[in-house]
Amino acid sequence: MVQEKLAFEPFSLEPIRLIDPEGRWIAPFPHGLPEQTLRQFYRDMLAARLLDEKLVILLRTGKTSFIAPHAGHEAAQVGVAHALRRGHDWLFPYYRDLGLVLALGVPLVEIFGQTLGNAKDPAKGRQMPSHPGSRPLNVFTVCSAIASHIPPATGAALSMKLCRTGQVAVCTFGDGATSEGDWHAGVNFAAVQKAPVVFVCENNRYAISVNIALQTASPNIAIKAQAYGMPGYYVDGLDVLASYFVVRHAVEQARAGAGPSLVELVVHRFGPHSSADDDSRYKSQEEREAERQQDPLLRYQRFLEREGLWDARWASSLRAELLGELEAALQTALAAGEPEPLQMFDDVYATRPWHLEEQRRLLAEELKP
Amino acid sequence: MPTLNLIQAINLALDEEMRRDERVVILGEDVGRRGGVFLATEGLQAKYGPDRVMDTPLAEAAIIGAAVGMAAHGLRPVAEIQFADYVFPGIDQLFSQAAKLRYRSGGQFTAPMVVRMPTGGGVKGGHHHSQSPEAHFAHTPGLKVVVVSTPYDAKGLLKAAIRDDDPVVFMEPKRLYRAVKEEVPAEEYLLPIGQAAIRREGRDLTIVSYGGSMVEVLKAAEEMAAVGLEAEVIDLRSVLPWDKPTVLASVAKTGRLLVVAEAPRTASVASEIAATVAEELFDQMLAPPLRVTGFDTPYPLAQDKLYMPTVTRILNAAKRLIDY
Repeated sequence: MVQEKLAFEPFSLEPIRLIDPEGRWIAPFPHGLPEQTLRQFYRDMLAARLLDEKLVILLRTGKTSFIAPHAGHEAAQVGVAHALRRGHDWLFPYYRDLGLVLALGVPLVEIFGQTLGNAKDPAKGRQMPSHPGSRPLNVFTVCSAIASHIPPATGAALSMKLCRTGQVAVCTFGDGATSEGDWHAGVNFAAVQKAPVVFVCENNRYAISVNIALQTASPNIAIKAQAYGMPGYYVDGLDVLASYFVVRHAVEQARAGAGPSLVELVVHRFGPHSSADDDSRYKSQEEREAERQQDPLLRYQRFLEREGLWDARWASSLRAELLGELEAALQTALAAGEPEPLQMFDDVYATRPWHLEEQRRLLAEELKP
Repeated sequence: MPTLNLIQAINLALDEEMRRDERVVILGEDVGRRGGVFLATEGLQAKYGPDRVMDTPLAEAAIIGAAVGMAAHGLRPVAEIQFADYVFPGIDQLFSQAAKLRYRSGGQFTAPMVVRMPTGGGVKGGHHHSQSPEAHFAHTPGLKVVVVSTPYDAKGLLKAAIRDDDPVVFMEPKRLYRAVKEEVPAEEYLLPIGQAAIRREGRDLTIVSYGGSMVEVLKAAEEMAAVGLEAEVIDLRSVLPWDKPTVLASVAKTGRLLVVAEAPRTASVASEIAATVAEELFDQMLAPPLRVTGFDTPYPLAQDKLYMPTVTRILNAAKRLIDY
C-alpha cells in the first residue's frame, strides 16, 4: 500500500484528487487513517473557517485594521499542517495561513493578539495582522515582502541538512509569489543543493485582482519545478486528504534526502484578497457563487458521512465547542493592554546601541505625565 | 608576527573562525574552488569541505536569503557578495529579512550573519564595480555596518562580526586589498564593533574618515604636519553604530571637523556625522563642519581618481576650516 501512496505522479495533467466532489474515496490505495485523525482534519478545517468568520466580525466592528481571508484554503492548509512534524519541522508561512498555523498549534490567543497588535502578540505589535510566527513551533514569522521567505526557507533547510537534524522546511506562498525573483533564486538554490524543503503553492488563481493567466504563461505552477530539476505535484487543494498525502509524501522524500519538491494546491479564495480589496470588481457573481459551491468543508463532510463519521449533532456540538474556544481566546486577547510604548526600541539589535538609547530616552521623556 | 595584506587578514579571520566554531559556514559565488574572485576564501573549501564553503548559484537573493534561514536555524553564515555593487538583487533579503527578522518576530527569531563585500573605487572597475553603498545599509535599522581600512582591523573586526548576534554588513575597500600591509598577530584577538581608532593625534582639526579614503586622509595629515598643522585623524571602522564619544571628544578639543568618505555626498554617512557634531557641539566650534566626499553622480570610470576624495581636496577643505 505504501508503494501505491508513493506513486503520486509529478507533472500530471489533471490535479491529483483522492476524494471526488461527492465525497467518494477514489484513490488506488486505502487511506488507512484512524477515525480520530479523520475527525481531527474536519475539526481543524471547521476551526479555520470559524476563525475566518470571526476575523471578519472583528474587522467590521473596528477592532482590527486588516484581515486576509483564508476561507476556501482550509483543506490545503490543514493538509499541510498535518503533513509536517509539529515543533520539529519548520514552517515558513505567508500572510494567508492563519488556518494553517492554527492547525499546527499556534494558540488562538496569540493569533488574536497578533490580529489586535496588542500585548498578547508574541511579536509585540510590530506588524499588520495576518503575520503570525512562533518560535516554540518553528513557525518563521511572516514577512509582508512577497516571496522574501523563500530563500530563508532554503537556507534553513540547508542548515538542517548540514547539521543532520532530520528536519524539513515547508514553505507556503500564493501564486503571485512565483513571479518574484526571490522565488526563483530560492527554489533554484534548494534544488541544486538537494535541500530538505517542500515548496507549497496555495494557488487560488488570484494575486489580489490579477488572474493566474496574467501572472504566468505556464499551464500550472507545479510544472515550473521541472525547470529546476525537482518533482512538481499538481493537486486539488479543495481535497484535504489529497493535500495531506501529497505534501506528506514530499516531506518524507525531503527527509529521506531526495531533495526539494514543489506542491501546487489549487484552491479558491472565497473572500477578497484582503480587507482593503473588493473582489466584486474583478470576479463575477457567477464565478464567486460557483466557487462557493465547491466548498472544501462540504466535500470533506460528504466523505466523512460515507465513512460513517459525520452526523449533524456531532458537527453542531463541535461548532459550538469551537465557537466557545474562539470567543474565550478573543476575550483573553482583547483584555490584554497595548504593548508598552518603549518596546518600540527593543529587538532592533541584540543589545541597544547608543543611538537607539538616545532616541528611547527622548520618547520616554515625552511620555512622562 | 606575520605581515599580511588586507585580503590575507580576512582569509585568516575566516579560517580561525571556521576552525573554532563548526557553525560558521561560507557561501557565495566562486567562494569554493576558486577561493573568491579576490581570493578571500582561498583554501578554505579544501580545508572545510563544500558544505561549509559553498559555491552558490549566481543569485545574490539566494545567497543573502539562504544566510538568513541558516542563521535563524542556528548556523553562523558568512555570505560573500562579489562586489558591493551587486548586492542590490539581494537587497530585499538584506532589508526585509535579515535586518528585520529579530524585530518583526518580537525577538523570537534572529539572523546572526555576516555579508562581506568588496566596496569602493580606485581599481578602474567602472561604475558597477566601484560604488560605496554603505549609507543604504546604515539607513536600515537592524543592520550593523563595518568598513575596514587595515589588515589588523580586518581580522579583529571580521571575527567580532561573525560572533555578533546581529546581521553585520562587512565592507572591504578593494583598492586596499593588496595595497596595505602590516603585522597581524597570529593569535586570537577581537575588536569591538562600534569603536573608532585614532590614527593620529592632533590639536588643530579633526578629520573623520573610514575605508579606502583613509589612505588619502593620512597622506593629507602628513602634508599638514609639514606646515605645522596637526590634524587628529579618526578611522570610524564602524559606520553603524558609529563611535560618537570619540568623535565628539576630538572635535571638542580641536573645534573643527572634516569628514572624508568616497560615497556620494547627499544623505551620506558623512552627512550624518557632520549633522550630529553640529547639533551637539555648535557653540564650541570654530568653523562649520565640512565634508569631502565622492560626487552625487554614478561612479565614472574615466574620472576614477578625480571622483574619490583627493589629497588636494582634503587639504583645501582643511585650509577653509582653519581660515574660517
